[in-house]
Amino acid sequence: MELIDPWLDTAEVRRLAELLMKPSRHPVGALPEAGFEAGFLGYTTTEPAVVAEESQAATPAPAEETVTQADPEPLPSAARSPFLDIIHHFRDWMREHFSAKEMFILDRQGEVIYDESHHGRLHFLARSLALAPRRPGSFAGYVHIKIRAGATLEVIPVEPPNGYLILGAVVPGALSPAAVTAVMEAMILVAGAQTPVRPIGQPV
Amino acid sequence: MINIAVSSQKGGVGKTTVSINLAHAFARAGVRTLLVDADPQGSVGLSLTRQSRLLAGFYDFLKDPSTPLERLIVPTRLETFALVASGQASDYEAGGGIGAHLSRVRDFLHAVAGRGYDLCIMDTAAGLFGVTGDVVSSSDAIMILQQAEPLGIRSVPKLLEGLNRMRVMNPRLSILGVCLTMVQHDLIESTEAAAALRQLLPPEMVFQTQIPRNPLFVRASARGLPIGAMEEGAAVQAVFDRLRVEIEDKLQPGDARRV
Repeated sequence: MELIDPWLDTAEVRRLAELLMKPSRHPVGALPEAGFEAGFLGYTTTEPAVVAEESQAATPAPAEETVTQADPEPLPSAARSPFLDIIHHFRDWMREHFSAKEMFILDRQGEVIYDESHHGRLHFLARSLALAPRRPGSFAGYVHIKIRAGATLEVIPVEPPNGYLILGAVVPGALSPAAVTAVMEAMILVAGAQTPVRPIGQPV
Repeated sequence: MINIAVSSQKGGVGKTTVSINLAHAFARAGVRTLLVDADPQGSVGLSLTRQSRLLAGFYDFLKDPSTPLERLIVPTRLETFALVASGQASDYEAGGGIGAHLSRVRDFLHAVAGRGYDLCIMDTAAGLFGVTGDVVSSSDAIMILQQAEPLGIRSVPKLLEGLNRMRVMNPRLSILGVCLTMVQHDLIESTEAAAALRQLLPPEMVFQTQIPRNPLFVRASARGLPIGAMEEGAAVQAVFDRLRVEIEDKLQPGDARRV
């Protein structure tokens, strides 16, 4: 094993491999919202509007409230909070720099922190992708999924010191690595309850 | 019908060679087999038919799903063996994220199933993204090829992460396992790499059968034939017959999709 021992963590590789060789925990048809099970034929047609999940569960730091917003219009002023303002700043920044049309943010448990996407059925997929088994210490990579003509869902997980956030954003085309890095930096500021400073990075 | 994606993390590990000869092994055993070249490089067509540069194929279907399957299927001298070349539209938006071609890949597989094939083997481009990601997301099973050399073994963690992600996309995906290729018994680094992979992964994840590096593959390719169709190919064909039996055993006994 001298050929490989110094190069990789054999115990972790074994763990990942054994996970794969287990029979699927999800029999066909058991995941109606996974998006890619047998009956699903892709995202080439218009996605039906789905009411975002209501969630009363506690949300991770730093969010004090769970905001589910199917309508992208600003909430009434009485319902606004500093954190929601920060998310709205972030949303505007995403629109301005990346032409993002729709966006949701989940926590590690898949609870909705923010949703103006009408893509509630993609929450499970986004969370599963972000949390797919990987080596400890390695970063959960981002994923582009083309959901229809001219619309790509970016799943971008970030791990700030105080939590774990999964961003789903619908953009016209796949973001470049530099653009994803800029989004991640902005997300970390959001997680720290800071307004993204414009510009964060230089979107490509 | 069951469809198997033949894939790899790295390029140049022998996917086309294994796909052709494995498909031929199944066909020789009486399994109605369709070999599909889902690699835009078009190596299956270039290996088996002189007309490959003229044939419509898989990527033409992705570009225009109204293309009749009959136009794409190329029969062979073996009644149970046919192939679909990569086609003339192989530069058609071949990049992109997972999901870009998912609907059309599934349409293609539904059309193939409707033609009465028992088995569809899809030779994919290296990596688990783009069209390959959509093929794997639509497949019943995946077989991964790994060249018996140290660098390839060191890429295994990335491969496993990619496969775990594919499992999210396609929860019913069965991991048939990793098959070692280009094994050189006269090269200690090659045999040590093969042994290291067997130590590294669970036994059920590594095929017992391994594919040797053999000049016969080059000769077969030069003549546009599978190994089993060559007079001197019996010994190497036996390797692919063993691989076929291993795959049949890995498919769940009693599964209606068992080939």
